Amino acid sequence: MAKNALGREIPDFIEGYGKTKLFQGAFALKPEEGYRAGGKIRCVDSTCTDKRVRDIKAAITASGLKSGMTVSFHHHLRNGDFVVNMVIDACAEMGIKNLTLFPTALFGVHKKLIEHIKSGVISRIMGSVNGPIGQLVSEGGMDVPVVLRSHGGRPRAVVSGDVHIDVAFIAAPTADQYGNICGTQGKSACGSLGYAFTDAQYADCVVAVTDNIQPYPAAPVSISQLSVDIVVEVPSIGDPAGIVSGTTQVTRDPLRLLIAKYASELIEASPYFKEGISFQTGAGGIPLAVTAFMREAMIKKGIKGSFGLGGITGYFVELLKEGLVERLMDVQSFDLEAVRSIGENPRHIEISADWYANPWNSGAAVNMLDVVILGATEVDTNFNANVNTEADGALLHGIGGHQDTAAGAKLTIIAQPLLRGRIPCVTDSVYSVTTPGEVIDAIVTEYGITINPRRKDLLDACSAVKGFPLVPMEELVSRAHKMSGPTDPVETEDRIIGVVEWRDGTVIDVVHKLKK
Amino acid sequence: MNTAQAGTLESMDCLVTVSQTAPGVGVKIKITGSSAVRFKSAMEKKTAEVIASMGVKDIDVSIQDNGALDIVLGARVEAAVKRMMGGDK
Repeated sequence: MAKNALGREIPDFIEGYGKTKLFQGAFALKPEEGYRAGGKIRCVDSTCTDKRVRDIKAAITASGLKSGMTVSFHHHLRNGDFVVNMVIDACAEMGIKNLTLFPTALFGVHKKLIEHIKSGVISRIMGSVNGPIGQLVSEGGMDVPVVLRSHGGRPRAVVSGDVHIDVAFIAAPTADQYGNICGTQGKSACGSLGYAFTDAQYADCVVAVTDNIQPYPAAPVSISQLSVDIVVEVPSIGDPAGIVSGTTQVTRDPLRLLIAKYASELIEASPYFKEGISFQTGAGGIPLAVTAFMREAMIKKGIKGSFGLGGITGYFVELLKEGLVERLMDVQSFDLEAVRSIGENPRHIEISADWYANPWNSGAAVNMLDVVILGATEVDTNFNANVNTEADGALLHGIGGHQDTAAGAKLTIIAQPLLRGRIPCVTDSVYSVTTPGEVIDAIVTEYGITINPRRKDLLDACSAVKGFPLVPMEELVSRAHKMSGPTDPVETEDRIIGVVEWRDGTVIDVVHKLKK
Repeated sequence: MNTAQAGTLESMDCLVTVSQTAPGVGVKIKITGSSAVRFKSAMEKKTAEVIASMGVKDIDVSIQDNGALDIVLGARVEAAVKRMMGGDK
């Protein structure tokens, strides 16, 4: 047992995970001299002009998938996805067991996997767990710990050889018979296929699962025939209602609007609010409202932005149309407007998770980012943030791009109410750490703006603005304590059920099994 | 048996149900809901304080919580007890 740079106790070896590397600091670890990993060298018979097979089971057989292997999936179909359940159901029927599931994220629709976890078809999950699966894992329902990685940490793990993908299953809203696929066309269109790119490049075998076959060569192409080995047509890959939401709405809650207003004031006071500003705000209610306030400020001051990054919503598409940002870099299209836009507008670019956020390549998009607005279930007096566990200690959320954008952006803001119900979002020490305070610059609540003392430049810039609502951390945390009252500790057992990796593959924290 | 309620299940509120019990049974408090895991001790303490201050010795209190702060919880318990005693019809 040793302590990492944040003072968290991390065992040298975790059963089912292996030897650990201690988190040393956000930018401390560099890759060892060496070469990238890679998938198998392929060769296709030159007379083969059609990679289609009969059904999912035939695809599984053809892929060579066997018990004990690692299978990957991407989550662009979100809560409408049929593909993960379809493939794992087929594996179960074929007697395949002990699979390592390596999804980019899982959703409520995947709760069906619980039966496959219990029966041993899935023995390990590397990826986020939420809802019922998260609860099951938190209560010790899996023998080996879940490994959580960020959107950038995941491709890093694949490219550097930490994780080897045997078979990647890619949900393809459009495909041709030779494996050219894209996400912007078809009845199950989901827009960007960003998270699937690395899997397509590095897996030993790539299976495209589609419900929309087009004549060869299908265009536009996101992932090409170069890396797709098998194509399988199914009646439907997803439920459109669960794939994309309608127009995402800005919050109307006055408390949240106030928080968004404060966050916008912070951005305007910062040195980054100038021509060419780039930002990421995601799809949450508060961040969207921040975007709305920033839009007004940009128009008022005659400023134009360079790009919007990450998960893209209709709100960002509007900014692009109005010329308030020049480009959108889209790793995941959240709503119908975003899906339409990425299919039509050449200034709306599809980027991979590697491009978006991997710390170990020749430069990720997050490094070019000025401002990001994030949330967290809790933040502590050292500005460490937790997005993985809920107040009761259950592991219920993935990391997403939290670590990567916080590390890359010049101004990282966490914006949210001081209390959720009775539970304070600011505490003395977070239950588990996702992102270190080293890369978080400010916390914005309804009580004002709390700036990390590390950012003296930002404090000076804000203090220069008359009447700026600054709140010191000590005041914020004592206010939270006073309102919520003393908390009872989370009761846990020794066993580790979750390992939270920092984006460089070191262990930033572990999550313990909840006492029943 | 005399039973009364106060509160709602809105966010940051709680629903308090109280019942008079036979002399000598004492104060029994049951708490369920969103904050129960982390705030049970604080909620029990507040509830017991309010009940003691009202001079009630034998009572069953059931709290369905949805994130109520102590100040809300105290007010809901007080209102429920007053209704039970016939002070607020």
